[in-house]
Amino acid sequence: MGLPLYNAHDDPGPSFFRYANAAGLTTSHDPDQVASPHATTIIAVRYVGGVVMVGDRQATGSYIASRDVRKIEAADRYTALAISGTAARGIEFIRMAQLSFEHYEKMTDAVLSLEGKANYLSPIIQRNNLTSPLVVLPLLAGWDLNHQVGRIFEYDGAGGCYERVDFATIGSGSPFAENTLRLGFRSDLDLEAALDLGALALYEAGDNDPSTGGPDFVRNLFPMMVTIDAAGFQELSNDDVANRFRVINERRTQSGGIAGGSLR
Amino acid sequence: MSNYFYVAPEQLIKDRAEFAQKGIARGRSIVAAIYDTGVVMVAENPSASLNKISEIYDRIAFAGVGKYNEFDQLRVSGIRHADTKGYAYSREDVEARSLANLYAQYLGQVFTHEMKPLEVEILVAELGNDLRPPQLYHIAYEGTITDEDRFAVLGGETEAIVVALEEEWSATWSLSEALRAAVGALAGSDRTLEAADLEVAVLAEGNGRRAFRRIVDDGLVALLG
Repeated sequence: MGLPLYNAHDDPGPSFFRYANAAGLTTSHDPDQVASPHATTIIAVRYVGGVVMVGDRQATGSYIASRDVRKIEAADRYTALAISGTAARGIEFIRMAQLSFEHYEKMTDAVLSLEGKANYLSPIIQRNNLTSPLVVLPLLAGWDLNHQVGRIFEYDGAGGCYERVDFATIGSGSPFAENTLRLGFRSDLDLEAALDLGALALYEAGDNDPSTGGPDFVRNLFPMMVTIDAAGFQELSNDDVANRFRVINERRTQSGGIAGGSLR
Repeated sequence: MSNYFYVAPEQLIKDRAEFAQKGIARGRSIVAAIYDTGVVMVAENPSASLNKISEIYDRIAFAGVGKYNEFDQLRVSGIRHADTKGYAYSREDVEARSLANLYAQYLGQVFTHEMKPLEVEILVAELGNDLRPPQLYHIAYEGTITDEDRFAVLGGETEAIVVALEEEWSATWSLSEALRAAVGALAGSDRTLEAADLEVAVLAEGNGRRAFRRIVDDGLVALLG
């Protein structure tokens, strides 16, 4: 591997993706590839001080391939990136995003804006999804340092980037999570309320969608819960998450599995 | 019919070296020093945005003196090299030695084959860990690479600075001791340098994975004492 030097007229600039393309580092796509395990339900909810994200941890093929996958990662200190779709592609996608944001920062000595990060991912998703059956769909949430507010960006399969001002969900468990959020969301949610609503939405998805892993009390494995606020990306401890799901589970046990009535 | 005149290789090398040295001597010097828990780099640089010291990777930093556009191109290619290597293999596989060797190869090649040599001198620094000591690789305009184990001085006229640092040097320097000695050596006996004249950065633990940190404003004033 030599020194990657470019002339001024063909320099790929601070975008790692453009550089990787120019250098032939990105993978080519073979449409006959066999599908590998899929990743599944992610929820992002805005609250007054930032964004809460909840994600299940199950990788599903024709059987459960893994129970402790991490589908939400810090893309940098103030940005969380979650993936649904083909696990292999999703993990590669997160690595590319993490590297790209840091690469830009080192090259230019300036931090990329949150909107800049969101837009940067569009062509990468577009190229992956339009050339490969191994579809990947991310969800980006972060603390916007320029405007001091938490923001959520979702994408469609063609790479379109859409900002959501309330909440967003991705993955096969989305319909169930989305319905819970629609009933429970308010624009003045505080952190605790947002965490509880996010946990409940994921509980619903895990309860109804076979490809979403709910709380696993036997193995002490629980969905991932993170907050992104002025202090940056923080992950809740396993005990904290376990308690939230235990409360929901007890409520649900008492009601004999019935969710209706008030939100529980 | 071409008009090539014979020039002795000795003369050619001498002319090129003089040219490069003259270009480098026009700029201010940089000092990098290993202290008890890290590496500090100090440049005399009145510009707050055109940096001479930069982050390359988790534990690796870059410093350059001479022509800005030339060393900046080397900085950029170093970041690309490191990020590519870390992406293809693992972050642990990115180390300063191979990058310093690449820089040395490139500078050496340009020195002998191109129209003019690069008018730069660069430093690749790496923070140590429990297994390896910190590394300072000093690479000159013609590709000579030197591995320093205490401090490195980059620039045109470095003798006085080296002498001043030799006098002050201690194996157990704290950050502020090393910084003050470096600033004193850069200033010389007839000047004083203020925080606003300096660009300072360290490689040190305590900031997660990325060890590079700029020291600016009040933090710098406090360390200068």
